[in-house]
Amino acid sequence: MPDFDLHFSPFSTDEAASYKLIELPSELVGLLENAIQSSDPLGLVIKGDPTEDAVLCTRDKTYSIRTVNLSNTLLVVTPPPDTEFNFAEDAVVIRDQLNEILELAPAVPRISKLVGRLRGREYDETNEEDDEDEEVDSDGSSRYTYTQAREEIQASDAELDVCLTQKRILIIKDELRPISPSYLNNILELTAERPRDHGISRVVSSQVLAWFGEIQGGGKWKMNEDEVIKELGLGILREHKNDDPIEKGAFVAKWKLAVGDTFADRVSLNLLAGNYLEGRPVGRIEHEYLTYFPSSTLPTDPAARFADLFLTRTKWRVEDITPFLSDIAVNNKERDKLLLKYCRAISESGAVWYTARAQYNG
Amino acid sequence: MIIPITISTDSSSAKLPSGLARISHDEIVLVELQGALDVGDCHPTERNGKLVGKLSIDDAMKKPTLLIGHHLLEGKVAAIPKPLAIMHRTNAAAKNIGDDMEVDDETQLDDSIGGTRGGNDGQSAPEWTILGLVKKKIIFSKRPMPVIKRS
Repeated sequence: MPDFDLHFSPFSTDEAASYKLIELPSELVGLLENAIQSSDPLGLVIKGDPTEDAVLCTRDKTYSIRTVNLSNTLLVVTPPPDTEFNFAEDAVVIRDQLNEILELAPAVPRISKLVGRLRGREYDETNEEDDEDEEVDSDGSSRYTYTQAREEIQASDAELDVCLTQKRILIIKDELRPISPSYLNNILELTAERPRDHGISRVVSSQVLAWFGEIQGGGKWKMNEDEVIKELGLGILREHKNDDPIEKGAFVAKWKLAVGDTFADRVSLNLLAGNYLEGRPVGRIEHEYLTYFPSSTLPTDPAARFADLFLTRTKWRVEDITPFLSDIAVNNKERDKLLLKYCRAISESGAVWYTARAQYNG
Repeated sequence: MIIPITISTDSSSAKLPSGLARISHDEIVLVELQGALDVGDCHPTERNGKLVGKLSIDDAMKKPTLLIGHHLLEGKVAAIPKPLAIMHRTNAAAKNIGDDMEVDDETQLDDSIGGTRGGNDGQSAPEWTILGLVKKKIIFSKRPMPVIKRS
């Protein structure tokens, strides 16, 4: 039986804590093995401020990192490094002794920081002539660039780009500017009327077109009808916050009018899921009324989000609450876990209702 | 803050003896012990390079043993439920790495992915690289048996 001398590494003290073991979820195993085979740099990064919990990002996914302590010790053993030390022929060395491993779990990209940084940086028609070289705007808010976002926001590059599209954030000379909703509506209407001669700057219009369709070769644009219809619906819905609900039938009629005859029959409240609440306000119980209630303004921390949701309504049906959880849960299984953790399910009038598990008093 | 993680493609570093290389990875083997190695040294650097014991494994990879002083540990090769990536930090700041050839090899491979912050000054930012994936480990979980060597 061959045996091997096991030594401490000659640089044991220097090398202590220079190794880390990362437990890989199945999808990363394949990814890493391929990368090692094909020398693909893979673009893995760890991102985070000293105050945040670190995340690991691939090009298109984000994983949370958790330290798991082991009661046993793991020795990292390798052939000896090149030194003057005289090791036997088949000696091996201990480079590090570990009592913990890093566990990765798929996570929702953490973009709430982005929303905060961009407050006051809205872009509308008055900005078209802006001097982009100014660091600080006249109202005191400072520039936040795409480059900064890529470095600071705990999300993969692909997820960050999706977020910018969904939140309608323009990139003007590397600076991030959320577009003002009314300006966006104007652009959509103008480009529908005059596709070539709308007079809006190229930089802005090409990004807007990319949000609402596919820019194809030869100057063609394939419209994503559902996205456009949804945006026009949101434009009307935004006027109707808690103090001014709109009757459901009236809303749909207004929406169909805005969209025009061609697409009127594609209008559907499903497109606006997660952005409105339906109910019968006191004094108007004959009809269903809608109010603007976007999940994008709700807290991203699950406990806080459920607190907000239960403050708004004490009980929810499953199909009513799930649209407001889709941006904080990675998949349906995680979403169900959140419901289990923060809600109590009760059966009433033949349906399942969710109520708060803890008392969220002010 | 971004810490880029590179993938090491350096295949020129030394390989483990074949008995160990066959277990999972040809350059790294993980050995699991219950408890920890207790070294009676007065100064942390005293143990650098010192012999710990003799590790052996049979050809069938079924019976690894580790002899430390008068203790014989018997173990087995076990599969790790979720493969582990071995990540190694190079360019440890404020240490004089000196002649360590391995560190030089690895840093040469670092592309500037996502803005590597490693500078050329003596105190460069630490860089992490993945040396490989390990799917099996040697685990010693039985009580050590005392042995007396006939010398």
